[in-house]
Amino acid sequence: MKNIRWRTQLDRLLVLVVIVALWQIGSLIFGVYWLSTPWQTVSRFFIALWNGELIRQSGYTIEEAFTGAVIGGVPAMLLPLLLRRQPILVAILDPFMIGGYGAPKLALAPLFILWFGIGVESKVALVASVVFFIIYFNTLAGVRALDVKLVQMAQIAGASERQVARHIVLPNAIPNVIAGLRIALPYGIGAAVIAELISSNRGLGYLVQVGAMNFDTTQVFVAILAATLIVHGVDGVVAGVEKFLMRWRPAPKALVQSSGN
Amino acid sequence: MGDGAFLEIRNLGKRFPQRQGREPSPWVIKDLSFTVKEGEFVTIIGPSGAGKSTLLNMIAQIDVATAGEIVFQGSTIMTADPKAMRPGLDRRIGYVTQDDNLMPWRTALDNVLFALEVQGRLDDKSREHAAMLMNAVGLSGYEKYYPHELSGGMRKRAALIRTLVYDPPIILMDEPFASVDAQTRTQLQEDLLRLWSLGRKTIVFVTHDIAEAIALGDRALVLTRQPTRIAGEHMIPIPRPRNVKDIFALEGFAALYERIRAQVQ
Repeated sequence: MKNIRWRTQLDRLLVLVVIVALWQIGSLIFGVYWLSTPWQTVSRFFIALWNGELIRQSGYTIEEAFTGAVIGGVPAMLLPLLLRRQPILVAILDPFMIGGYGAPKLALAPLFILWFGIGVESKVALVASVVFFIIYFNTLAGVRALDVKLVQMAQIAGASERQVARHIVLPNAIPNVIAGLRIALPYGIGAAVIAELISSNRGLGYLVQVGAMNFDTTQVFVAILAATLIVHGVDGVVAGVEKFLMRWRPAPKALVQSSGN
Repeated sequence: MGDGAFLEIRNLGKRFPQRQGREPSPWVIKDLSFTVKEGEFVTIIGPSGAGKSTLLNMIAQIDVATAGEIVFQGSTIMTADPKAMRPGLDRRIGYVTQDDNLMPWRTALDNVLFALEVQGRLDDKSREHAAMLMNAVGLSGYEKYYPHELSGGMRKRAALIRTLVYDPPIILMDEPFASVDAQTRTQLQEDLLRLWSLGRKTIVFVTHDIAEAIALGDRALVLTRQPTRIAGEHMIPIPRPRNVKDIFALEGFAALYERIRAQVQ
């Protein structure tokens, strides 16, 4: 078990080394002007981190992404729960939800900027519109996968409609909600960055945009690196929440099997 | 309850809704009648596919009847309208199903306490009662375990006392011990008899196992094949407390077993 974990870490390190090497080779071939080197990027990353610039800009982006995720995600979680007993309403909404899900939301960014200005609001709106549909469909799938027998058991025990929703439907849907979060949050962070890129005077997207304008590829890479690390951090938090909320689950089969070898 | 019947089934009939473009669906249950007295342990034996679960589902109000009447504690409770169904009829009808239906996200104890919790009856006294029941079936020490960490027999026990703990006047049991090995089943049967002797609840226990029906019940009803009705009724004069392990050796057991077996097709 421990061996496998070590091995995985080692292999990951190896993949990282390969990626960095390819990057280095790329910048040698195309020239530092077009493709900043890994070393330049990392050193600028730490300079920007030290002088607080990176943290400030990242903070804006995180704030937008977080606000948008709450505004989009919470209704997306509640809606399928509330509509559980209204299958007709769900069916009516379905084509519109699929439309909303499939529509290229990033193309909405200019519209949101037009409506809400170049401040925080337009980014929040874009993130919310991205997060909402992903969480909605995942939660809906969780609600639909409900075991009728568990519901009947609860009703026989005297549970009201609300108690059924709270004690059976919600816990049953949590794995799907978490799966939705793990997809939606990186998407949401990406959406915030792109909205900033289009029009903003702050945030990681703004750093990208200014970097590109000044032919400063190092700054572009620094901003992308920061966004990537944020995504990793958020995913780690969600994974931790998942582990806590799903502690009732048996250990994943694959792990059990591989530990037996 | 003038005639002494606690639960009365009168000419009950069930057919499932007709599918479009098909023959009318056959009657699963037809003209089925029996009564259950208060405090009685009635076992119902039927071949597989005899609509045993359907019968209990209708009594428990999670399925609608097509014809007939179900009278419980003096009032007619059967309804043909799915929307008007009241599962468990105000917590007066307990139901132990074939699957344990434990909530995987709740520990054994929290599963047992579920009904008390949603009924708003969770207090020190009811917790104590739950702990007593857990102890009586050997689940002490497993309170914090999740269902997937328990053995099949333990899950059955948890499912059983989850219903016993809130003390409904009647408890329906649908082959609750069908899916465990023979040894565990004997132990579960003994647990059930011991718990029953404490409270003498009214129990309707469905099984396809003739020996189980004799070992547990005051009276055994035999069902026909579809369309299901009552094929026969047998009093079980074996005195209590009974020893499930040795019941086969008792005088009269073999003859009773044979009489029932002849009726079960």
